[in-house]
Amino acid sequence: MRHMLLRELVSKFSRRGFLRGSAATVAAVAVSGTTLLASAAETAGLSAEDSRALLKFTRDLFPHDRLHDSFYAKAIAPLQDEAAKDAATRKLLAGGIAQLNASTMASAGKPFADVPDESVRVAAIKQIEGGAFFDKVYNSTMTPLYNQPELWPKFGYEGPSSAQGGYINRGFSDIDWL
Amino acid sequence: MPAKFDFNDSSVVVIVGSGAGGGTLANELAKKGISVVVLEAGKRMELTEFKNDEIGMFGAFTWFDPRTSSGSWYVAKSSPDLPAWTCKLVGGTTVHWGACALRFQEHEFKTRTRYGAIPGANLLDWPIDLNELAPYYDRAELRMGVTGTHGIPRLPASNHGKVLFAGAKKIGYTQYMTTNMAINSVPRDGRASCQQTGFCVQGCTFGAKWSTLYIDVPQAEATGKAEVRAESQVLRIEHDAAGKVTGVVYADRAGNLQRQKARIVAVAGNSIESPRLLLNSASTQFPQGLANSSGQVGRNYMRHVTSTVFGVFDKPVHMYRGTAQSGIVMDEARLDTNRGFVGGYNLELLPQGLPSFATNLLPGEWGRDRASVIDNYVNLAGVWIIGEDLARETNRITLHPERKDKYGMPIPNVHSDDHPNDLAMQNHGFQQADALYKSIGAKRTVHHLPFPSTHNMGTNRMSEKPQDGVVNRFGQSHDVKNLFVSDGSQFTSSGGENPTLTIVALALRQSEYIADQMSKGAI
Repeated sequence: MRHMLLRELVSKFSRRGFLRGSAATVAAVAVSGTTLLASAAETAGLSAEDSRALLKFTRDLFPHDRLHDSFYAKAIAPLQDEAAKDAATRKLLAGGIAQLNASTMASAGKPFADVPDESVRVAAIKQIEGGAFFDKVYNSTMTPLYNQPELWPKFGYEGPSSAQGGYINRGFSDIDWL
Repeated sequence: MPAKFDFNDSSVVVIVGSGAGGGTLANELAKKGISVVVLEAGKRMELTEFKNDEIGMFGAFTWFDPRTSSGSWYVAKSSPDLPAWTCKLVGGTTVHWGACALRFQEHEFKTRTRYGAIPGANLLDWPIDLNELAPYYDRAELRMGVTGTHGIPRLPASNHGKVLFAGAKKIGYTQYMTTNMAINSVPRDGRASCQQTGFCVQGCTFGAKWSTLYIDVPQAEATGKAEVRAESQVLRIEHDAAGKVTGVVYADRAGNLQRQKARIVAVAGNSIESPRLLLNSASTQFPQGLANSSGQVGRNYMRHVTSTVFGVFDKPVHMYRGTAQSGIVMDEARLDTNRGFVGGYNLELLPQGLPSFATNLLPGEWGRDRASVIDNYVNLAGVWIIGEDLARETNRITLHPERKDKYGMPIPNVHSDDHPNDLAMQNHGFQQADALYKSIGAKRTVHHLPFPSTHNMGTNRMSEKPQDGVVNRFGQSHDVKNLFVSDGSQFTSSGGENPTLTIVALALRQSEYIADQMSKGAI
């Protein structure tokens, strides 16, 4: 498999502005609080239904039960921004979501986001794995998902340490089970 | 005070690149009173700009100029546009390096003699041996403050290291320790000691790690004999009718072309950019590229046998706490062909913060199984297999036939095919690392194929005979006497050790030779 994330980073960094752009997006989405999904959907030019499917799809790619949907909403926000500005991206996303929906309609009689059985959704994703839509979502959402400082404590990661003087007095060598 | 030299000052030594090789050479020559102009393609950052931000610093440091790749190696599939992870800024890759500072072993300088003729490989003995380099290793260790050498205490073991050592002991290894690191374990040389931040690769915010950015470059400037021009990408080396180099043409930060005259040119842009520059300096007199009568420029690209194994435990490790790479098992670094391969490998700690780990894990994979590994993030331990890969003529850097960068310079293609020896070593490493972690209770292990290459070697190799390589025992071009190569591209073999200490030792040795030859009027 291609290291798609790195490809995406190379492409974004070489275009520059990636960090500024994504940070701004995350911040903007964060302040909108509970209306975050709806407002993000409006700016995306994607329907609210499509945004819901996109979020569900992203969650299925990177499924962590410990994470509230709000983390996934932030993960898809940069992609929604891109879709709002770029017709080709909008078309790619809408087309891919339509495929997922068609697949689950056939297998379970419901649109993708409404299918409660994860294995049914996973089967639908497997049919599009490695395609342009899959790659685009995989590449565009992974970093914004895992690079959220608010998410790190959910995995026990403590983040920046220099301001606290590193870990020299904060447990770099405190293992007790060996 | 930094010097300021005229473009037409043909008395200067021009050094291309300011990393381990170029930065060290610049400092040494300047301290000997020799005028030096360092041309660095990247920007200049200050230590105060470093942040504990994996994704952000990856963006700030990395050499993202376009490259392509080809061949059977995994990286050509997983990361074709970024085959190597090197830095583009003053200080070069010493800004992000992990600071493992190991000497090559005796047999690694004599691979052709010791390993024999390996089919499909292009082995050659270095024209120097360990004895000859040993005094320069000593000096390199002292100036870099390498722990575990010359009475400098080793760093304390982190949780992550203790897990590695416990597993190593359990399966019968004996050569494990906190690594020889160019990171201060005690305050030294006007710099702080390691605070165990865990962010070595993002630039050490305490300056405890050796880097030419804030050590050699300012020291060189303080002599008044060195000028460092950042954001200056050298495009071509020029020569006269006698076949001596006369200077370089480079694009300055405004994108304007400048010509800096020179008495000597030393190329230290790493094993991808250095051969690219020599190949792009082809002329009617040197149609194959500068310094390339052997046809070996760009060939014998080596990048180590590397892979990573993560052990998943059911108790916390917190691998991100503490000096990132300070922990090593050296038992497999020996030469022992009973294992089914020549050369050896080390096992070195490879922690990652959550953002790096989660985004680099198992490229292309998704779903519950992958996510479950991330769910266990605090319970993970990671070890990097780093072993000797074999020189092959066909593993090489070439100029792309069509694609050019923004200055019109052809971009490099990096071609590498795994040798069967590389794969045998990699498999052995996987087995041993699995056994190590499982011996102390890992529930599972996750194998990771190579990340983009951080170690890049060969491509302008040293040789006794001009027909076998590009430079002589001092890194001096066989063809062009006032042209030098000062980085890891000089390496004749890759060894199983991280290359930086050897690059610095070679630069120290080369600086004496250059000064001597200049004083004799030989160059």
